Amino acid sequence: MSDIELKDLLYKVADDQLILGHRNSEWTGIGPLLEEDIAFSSMAQDKVGHSLAFYNLLHQLGESEPDIVAFTRNAEQFHNSKFVELPIGEYDFSLIRHFLFDHAELIRFEMLSNSSHEGIAKIAKKLKGEVKYHVIHADSMIKQLGSSTTESIERMQKALNFAMPYALGLFEVSEYEEKLISNRIYAGEVAIKDRWIGDIQEIIMKTSLELPDTKILTPEYGGRKGEHTEHLQPLLEEMSAVFREDPTADW
Amino acid sequence: MSALKSLDPRVARLNIPSEIELITEKEEQDQLNTYQVFRQMNLKRPFEHVGIVHAANLELAFTFAKEQYSRRQTCSGIWVVETEKVKTTDFTEDQESIYSKIEEPENKKGQMEEFDFFHLDKRGKQHVHIGSMKAENHEMALWRAKQELELDKPVYNVWVVKSEDLLKVEEGFQDIWDTLPDKRYREAVDYKAGDKLKEFKERMNQAK
Repeated sequence: MSDIELKDLLYKVADDQLILGHRNSEWTGIGPLLEEDIAFSSMAQDKVGHSLAFYNLLHQLGESEPDIVAFTRNAEQFHNSKFVELPIGEYDFSLIRHFLFDHAELIRFEMLSNSSHEGIAKIAKKLKGEVKYHVIHADSMIKQLGSSTTESIERMQKALNFAMPYALGLFEVSEYEEKLISNRIYAGEVAIKDRWIGDIQEIIMKTSLELPDTKILTPEYGGRKGEHTEHLQPLLEEMSAVFREDPTADW
Repeated sequence: MSALKSLDPRVARLNIPSEIELITEKEEQDQLNTYQVFRQMNLKRPFEHVGIVHAANLELAFTFAKEQYSRRQTCSGIWVVETEKVKTTDFTEDQESIYSKIEEPENKKGQMEEFDFFHLDKRGKQHVHIGSMKAENHEMALWRAKQELELDKPVYNVWVVKSEDLLKVEEGFQDIWDTLPDKRYREAVDYKAGDKLKEFKERMNQAK
């Protein structure tokens, strides 16, 4: 197996984390209550930290420095799913996205922590605890708001229905998948998705919400191949505005 | 009304009015309960009261407490309890211990169950967990503690909590506590900006 397959996997993992981390940080200062503002911001910072760990690994495999990779690529060079680049919307959508994404992320980290690739396994083991907390947070919020007032339940359901096709886009299979699986790098997107449906269903069943039938939905694919919504490029410009002022600045 | 101007594009596009109407009355539904948070800094230390969070339920209280109180300090466990489930004594001063004022309660009834004790040993400090014991009810727990505890220093105030009312997140969650040492970037000391700031100030002064 060559590095091409590994890099493909690492880029999509890291790009998802960076973009969602940046998106979720948009709630900093305007969260619904102080405690939640702090928790959500802190998790957003964790996500950016995770992306740094994977960009560092990519750097070891010959890619550019993390800052260059993060701040100088254009939208079509990003491998994140369309799901993570969507605007934060109302808090209902941001919470549902957090819930759907982090359940998948935890399964991914568990698989990667058993990877045959030592570097990947080490990072995943080290950071898994943070993702575990993200899932605890998401579950407690979804259980509360998914079984609270009529308005709350309706809003959460609407956000869930809207988010689901995009969430399925997380599991877009790459052309390198088979090699990654046969080399025991990880068990692959289909395996993550199958476990994910069971995990989110278990929480949704404790609420008044209903999980949309994933079999009849058309997933929003394309992100892994660099096809994005109109929302990614403006995000990248905003995220890299300070960096581009002086790319040589030492922080 | 004009929109609030901000250098942060994320704030600017929210169209927040530059003048905000003050809310003088809040609906009752808007008020969340408070929960008391106890933290253990490492496995060798006792749990110590660290503060309060607002939350809709006990589970969310833990979720908030975790980020609120273990974000920048090491931590090996967090306990939370709804504020109204904490029974407190009066306060004493100087050499007088609060236990000297505890009298035998009239109500001695209740199923024997576990109670956790938190002592205030110094005014201005936080309550520290000293242990637990079985009793019939909160008052009897205090009375029994008075008989059994041998204290060499005065205790100024006691919190008694039915162990069942505490949500204790410790063992089995080791991985969520083990993440802090790599998060130096969350602390100001990790940004060695002192020299740069000095240089910047000098440059500004020269420019004047």
